[in-house]
Amino acid sequence: MLPILPTSMIGSYAMPGWLERLKTEFFARRISRHDLDEINDAASKAAIKDQETAGLDIVTDGEARRDNMVDYFIERFPGVQIDRTSKKFYYDFYDSEVQGKLPVASLGLVQDFKFLRMFTDRQPKFCVTGPHCLTKRIRNKFYPSEEALALDIAKVMNMELKALAKAGANYIQIDEPYYSGFPEDLPWAIRALNALVEGIEARVAVHICYGNRYGKPSWEGSYRYLFPAILDAKVQQLTLEFARRGGEDLDLFKQYPSKFEVGVGVIDVKNQDVETPDLVAQHLRRALEVLPAERIWVMPDCGCFHLSRDVAFAKLQAMVEGTRMVRRELGH
Amino acid sequence: MILKLNHLQEKTAAVASQEVVATMYSIMDEGKIDENEFSRLQVELDWIQYKKNFRDPVAAICGCVTSGEASRLLELRVDTRQVTAGTLKQDVLKALARANPNASAQDQDLMPLEEFQSLRTSIVWKFNKLYWTRLNDWEDATGTDYEKALPGGQSDGHRADAIGDSVNEFFALLKELEAKHQLPAEIFMLELGVGTGIRFGLWLDKFKALDEEHKTGYYPKLRVLLGDYSLATLEMSRPAVKNHTDLCSFLVIDGENPLKSLSFMRHKILQVHLTNVYDNLPNEEIVRKDGRLYFVHVRAFIPMTEAARLSAVYDFPLDKMRATVQRLVEGGLDHHLGDKSRAVSFWRDIWSAIKLEEKLVPFEDLPDFPYPGGLDYTKLEDILAVAPGDLRTHLSSGALDSFVNTLPLLHPRGHLQVNDIFVTDFKQYRLGYWGPGKLEGSLLSWVNGALLREVAERSGYDVHFAPFTYRKGSKNSVLYTTRRD
Repeated sequence: MLPILPTSMIGSYAMPGWLERLKTEFFARRISRHDLDEINDAASKAAIKDQETAGLDIVTDGEARRDNMVDYFIERFPGVQIDRTSKKFYYDFYDSEVQGKLPVASLGLVQDFKFLRMFTDRQPKFCVTGPHCLTKRIRNKFYPSEEALALDIAKVMNMELKALAKAGANYIQIDEPYYSGFPEDLPWAIRALNALVEGIEARVAVHICYGNRYGKPSWEGSYRYLFPAILDAKVQQLTLEFARRGGEDLDLFKQYPSKFEVGVGVIDVKNQDVETPDLVAQHLRRALEVLPAERIWVMPDCGCFHLSRDVAFAKLQAMVEGTRMVRRELGH
Repeated sequence: MILKLNHLQEKTAAVASQEVVATMYSIMDEGKIDENEFSRLQVELDWIQYKKNFRDPVAAICGCVTSGEASRLLELRVDTRQVTAGTLKQDVLKALARANPNASAQDQDLMPLEEFQSLRTSIVWKFNKLYWTRLNDWEDATGTDYEKALPGGQSDGHRADAIGDSVNEFFALLKELEAKHQLPAEIFMLELGVGTGIRFGLWLDKFKALDEEHKTGYYPKLRVLLGDYSLATLEMSRPAVKNHTDLCSFLVIDGENPLKSLSFMRHKILQVHLTNVYDNLPNEEIVRKDGRLYFVHVRAFIPMTEAARLSAVYDFPLDKMRATVQRLVEGGLDHHLGDKSRAVSFWRDIWSAIKLEEKLVPFEDLPDFPYPGGLDYTKLEDILAVAPGDLRTHLSSGALDSFVNTLPLLHPRGHLQVNDIFVTDFKQYRLGYWGPGKLEGSLLSWVNGALLREVAERSGYDVHFAPFTYRKGSKNSVLYTTRRD
């Protein structure tokens, strides 16, 4: 049973410098796949432990085994051609291309979810990158449109999400950071999102931010572009960034009433300065002016990938403490 | 003896090589250097482009291979531009004496102004700072504007065609953002290192005209931040932007860390521009020699003969020289040596006389070294792994710090443009001496653009260099950033 104002990360935890180095060593063929897998397992366990110690109610695996939010998925997609020489540094994106219809096959994500499940008793969350984002990263040499490719990606991933839900993943987050860069895509992007989540028996969130590549925003603007199109999304939860950008866009939820829960970003992940619990509480009070407490979830703006570990940990602690302050104010 | 040519000035190298070889044999024949020392000695011929610099015609570089070993002579470096026929032997002997701890003070002919340390913390940077904060006093005394001393007689930043292209490019960016409904309500720009302000004044004139011509309404949305570490320079720049003062804010900014003053502008600035700032920021050097990495330590000194002359001219005891120089750079000019004009005169004479002695210190604590921004042990290792073997290269610490502390200010569609003297490939370091040198009262070094490019990659930016084509013969290039995907 989750408390009111449940706390969680968006997905990724801090990527330590030593792990970056080892991942790049793997690409240079200086360490084996087996050793890298063991290293990733150890880093994931450490990330889980840090989240538990910081007091988060919901825990992810920290995504230590993902080089970035794209390659982890496209590497697993049958039918996507990858130029494996295109990476110099582990964080770089592969050059990838689709030359024919994507076959439906397992992506093997359940194994990673089971690993998370094995090492925590807390509520787990599993995150996947959405079809719009993946479509923007894969060169399309086959499908007549981006939407057609996105719908087939959604079809493959839908099967995977069903397998995840069957394995016990009852909270799944779809990451779609490219919506903000390509607002004109929103109509078909939401059709693809709905195809992805069709028939999934789990709480499904969609995370929409302004990008966090290299710890920097990729775009700026207002979430106004999401409305009213996003109201057609068949998800329970939107997780959005408000800490760095301010809470002005929260008023959009007044203007466009919906039943969405909102994961409110209260931690700026693009700044190494650690927020105080008071500041977190202020952000939450601002959200409470617009949304009932039952529909507010508490999160950083985006993944903690680019923060140093000590900063990420301190920020999560401040988030938990600030949330507790507001819970007390609410009588919980 | 290994003779190494570090430049492409064929005629000077040919003449100097013959003379160096003959001189070294003659010195060995006279027993002033033994056969073992001769056989392992490396003599490097440089051609120093700065007419005023910190080098004697011949410099001895000492060091030890590992810490704990006694320091010994590792290299002789000959400035082929300074050596003159007939004096080389005398210059070599003086350099050898300086490398010999047992030589007499008279033979060594040097008065140290500090202890050996990184160039970055050397007293010469205090002189550099003094110059920029008291530019008016220097210019009054010399009767020459700083700009007149520049190659071409004016800053490259003032070239009207370069400014026109910059304005057009920025205007196109704003049009594109507007088309995508992403034009910010306030359009922030930062000029770091304002100089005379002329560049930005001209830039704004041109931009305003273009905005009026196209009726786009961008000009009133401009918010121009003019930053410099010298309040005096900021004051001097104000008249140049007098037609646009409502849009301009003048800010004292630490050039090596603009974020300190501007953290509230994180991710908001659409254009950051600098002209010849990085080449004037504190620098330090590393050397890779026979597979080992060394840090270059320097010690500022004045030749003893010159120190004696200056103490007589300015009427203080010779043994007070070091303290008198310290008071000059730390206490300022106003109450020094009786009156300001004498102090300025002393300042210019000392600056003219200052040289740098060097020694190589083994770089043994690589992981714990205080690296400049964006660089750490693993990155440096990766970078040096693909650089040429034996190498002397700038860490460009101040430039690197400034660079990585500026990038976070950029709007997602913003860019950084730097007009400066860049070494863009590590291989170039084997073909030239890239500073430091003196320009009027300031200190200049070429900037390690190759290092900036590598560091930028890990910070999410690709760095590109283009030649500065607006002035024939200009050695400047233009660094510009694009976001890395």
